Amino acid sequence: MKNLFIAFVVFTLALLAFSTYQALFVAPTEQTMGEVQRIFYYHVPSAWTAGVCFFVNFLASVAYLWKRNLASDGVAAASAEVGVTFCTIVLITGPIWARPVWGIWWTWDARLTTTLVLWLIYVSYLVLRRFSAGGQTQVLAAALAIFGFVDVPIVYMSIRWFRTQHPSPVMGGGENSGLDPAMLHAFFWNLAAFTCVGIVLMVVRYRLQMLEEKVEATHAAAALQGGSR
Amino acid sequence: MTGPVALKTAYIVTWVILLGYLGSLLRRFRRVREEMKDFKRGG
Repeated sequence: MKNLFIAFVVFTLALLAFSTYQALFVAPTEQTMGEVQRIFYYHVPSAWTAGVCFFVNFLASVAYLWKRNLASDGVAAASAEVGVTFCTIVLITGPIWARPVWGIWWTWDARLTTTLVLWLIYVSYLVLRRFSAGGQTQVLAAALAIFGFVDVPIVYMSIRWFRTQHPSPVMGGGENSGLDPAMLHAFFWNLAAFTCVGIVLMVVRYRLQMLEEKVEATHAAAALQGGSR
Repeated sequence: MTGPVALKTAYIVTWVILLGYLGSLLRRFRRVREEMKDFKRGG
């Protein structure tokens, strides 16, 4: 299993190098925005990976409330933290892209605001897990995760439901949407690479969570033994 | 901020965040493992 994971990490690194090369040197330069449009190849895959992580978090939270097993809670904790990391990338690369193109760093339009709210929901989820004491923390966190996930489809649909400063969807956005095939290739390579990075980080974070649980259980058992003497 | 500068900044920021997060995970791993070792030694 360990060898399989190491092979997957190596594959992910190779994929990342290739996809970055595609994004920077193979994909054609966009005519209106110029070079800065290449941020797209990191910005959108980061958003996708954050969405995948939050979906995993949602499923794991439902599973935890249903079965109350430690593994589901571990997956939920891992996926939320990795999701927040990718969502942070989205919230930083977005304004960096916006400044030269729109002339502003930020605007309170539906897409940007719902994304910021999403980030705040999952940061509060992590804060709850980190600082809440008592036996109900995992249940509360799972409940928050299930309600918090409602914002993910709202973020996705926001550019379809509302008129926004953020561009309309480039894929599945109707007649005038779509990407140049060369751009599409670079985009899908980066989508695959970022998804793999997300999986690697979630696996590492999950193993850390399980190890922390083990240490905590060992400490608790030792304290009980000490107390009973 | 010009386009090429923004592009470089965005890519560098992405890598810094990802590598920084990975680094923090590995540090936490080391700390937990050491805690486990100390506990076994002590107990």
